Amino acid sequence: MATGHNGVVESQVEPTRVVIVDDNPEFLDSARRLLEHQGVRVAGLASTNADGLRCVQELRPDVTLVDVNLGEESGFDLAEALQESDDGGPVPVILISTHAEPDLAEMIETSPAIGFLAKSALSAGAITAAISRLGHNHLK
Amino acid sequence: MIEQVVAEVKNGRPERPGGRVMSLLVQPTPPPLWRGLVAAAALIGVETVVVLLLKHFAPTNAFGTVYLLGVLVVGAAWGFGLAAINALASAVAFDYCRSWPDSGLSHPQNWVVVGVFFIVALLSNSLAWLARASAIEAERRRHEADLAARQQTALRRVATLVARGVPPSEVFSAVVAELASCLEVQNAALFRYEPDGTALLLAAADEPGLQKMPVGERFSLDGDNVAAMVRRSGRAARMDSHDHAAGTAAARIRALGLCSAVGAPIVVDNRVWGVAVAGSSRPDAFPPGAEQRVSDFADLIGIAIANVQARAELTASRARIVAAADDTRRLIERDLHDGAQQRLVSLGLRLRLAEDSVAPEQMALREQISDVVTDLVAVSDELREMSRGIHPAILSKGGLGPALRALARRSATPVNLDVAVPHRLPDYVEVAGYYVVAEALTNVTKHAQASEVHLAVKTEGDHLYLSIRDDGVGGADAGKGSGLIGLVDRVEAVGGRIDITSHRGDGTSLEVLIPLERDLLAAGQSSELVPGQT
Repeated sequence: MATGHNGVVESQVEPTRVVIVDDNPEFLDSARRLLEHQGVRVAGLASTNADGLRCVQELRPDVTLVDVNLGEESGFDLAEALQESDDGGPVPVILISTHAEPDLAEMIETSPAIGFLAKSALSAGAITAAISRLGHNHLK
Repeated sequence: MIEQVVAEVKNGRPERPGGRVMSLLVQPTPPPLWRGLVAAAALIGVETVVVLLLKHFAPTNAFGTVYLLGVLVVGAAWGFGLAAINALASAVAFDYCRSWPDSGLSHPQNWVVVGVFFIVALLSNSLAWLARASAIEAERRRHEADLAARQQTALRRVATLVARGVPPSEVFSAVVAELASCLEVQNAALFRYEPDGTALLLAAADEPGLQKMPVGERFSLDGDNVAAMVRRSGRAARMDSHDHAAGTAAARIRALGLCSAVGAPIVVDNRVWGVAVAGSSRPDAFPPGAEQRVSDFADLIGIAIANVQARAELTASRARIVAAADDTRRLIERDLHDGAQQRLVSLGLRLRLAEDSVAPEQMALREQISDVVTDLVAVSDELREMSRGIHPAILSKGGLGPALRALARRSATPVNLDVAVPHRLPDYVEVAGYYVVAEALTNVTKHAQASEVHLAVKTEGDHLYLSIRDDGVGGADAGKGSGLIGLVDRVEAVGGRIDITSHRGDGTSLEVLIPLERDLLAAGQSSELVPGQT
């Protein structure tokens, strides 16, 4: 959750840049508006695996939000693909879903994603928390 | 007739007392004439010696009956002609003994004695002949009744197999064995008519020593053979000889050492499905009623096949209904997820944006919006739980292993998990397996008062094996609304098997096998029933 309507923006010099991959246009729109408002820079939106992959390679965001359900496609596959594309090093992936985390726990663990966010809990704060956890783990 | 008697003896059947002598005397075709002449001469010789010996004790006239015995024996075995010759020779011998050492026939009164003896001997012989004829008839009737009784017993045995629903292959083997035995022939076989115009040999019984019929071989139906005749006419058919029959099948039949055959159609759903054939190496092996007797067996096979087909159709239709229901549930879940669920989530995000946009001094409004967001998330979670009940999305995405582990994590009763399944299994296997475990865990929590559940899942050969054991109170009964009956239906619908052990005080154990291939549904049930498959 965001700490406040100004808090996140003030704490960062450069805004976090994200790409969101989701097949639901309404969600993409709502998420973009909320995150932008909370100070995250939404660099690109995509609704398929192929679009998402291209988008990420072009825009090199700090993090990619990938929906687990992409119509007939699977967000887990995109996470794998993003990990393997060594074009400038992998971009961290946060998986998002309306499904409950415990249901997907095993698949999230085995995927290269750095974390999972319930769509309803999406916020700039949650994203930065996930990224900083990653940084913390890297330092270890 | 004698062969039948011998056959009975060989078969270890008890023989009637005196049956052997009777059968010798009542042969329908007499033994060779020379043997009759020799027998007649020998009998007269022995009789003469006996009469000459008896002559020391009483007047010879009293012993004419001794000669009568020989006439009756020869008459019974060789018929009237030889009996007449025997009677004449006996009369002369009798007269000779009577007047010995004088030459008897010189006195006219001796001629009268000879004449009377001759006539009495012939009349006695005629009476004996009548008795013999009725003995033959009685023997024939007895044999027929015996055969009919044996056939009834054999048919009953086969009918019991059919009713028990044993695999058709077992029925086939039983039928050919019974058929050969009942018709007292060396060979019996079952063929299925194939779409390519051949007949596939499904089962055969061959007498030891006879060349074995090759089960699985396709016989061409060209030319003259019983299988082709039955297929053409749809009725029973016979061939008393294949000696001059045309076609490869006839040649094959000759090569197998067979000569005559009777076949009857196996009719399934008003269609001539196949043929039951009895074969013999003898040309005259089949009595006039043989067609009916083969038909009786063929009818039973038809019923057996129709039964199995009906069962297979039922199984398949159950599986289709379950699959259709699963598909529908999957669709509903996806629609809920992609529709209402996504809209609720988006609505939540927009409200949060609104919440964030409220000026800090309007705390009350902010809190109101925050409350609505919280409620909205709760509704969304509720909907998610409902969706999962309809169909677990995790199953479609991650397969059975992750789905079962998720189930175990959510279970109110702790689950000790031992899951070793391939990443993906066929849809219907995953859904059935998941459903079984979900339902079983719900049952445990509701009824078992268990402290732990042990869940083991693995693939075993071409089946998925699931074992769910708890340490609860036991005593579960599939008939008492325990949810177990639903499990049984679910498992059986996909061709699986479920064993439930639940003794009071000793926990409940479910063991489930689900075939990994749909084809296994039909294996051993219907594959051998469908023309064109073996």
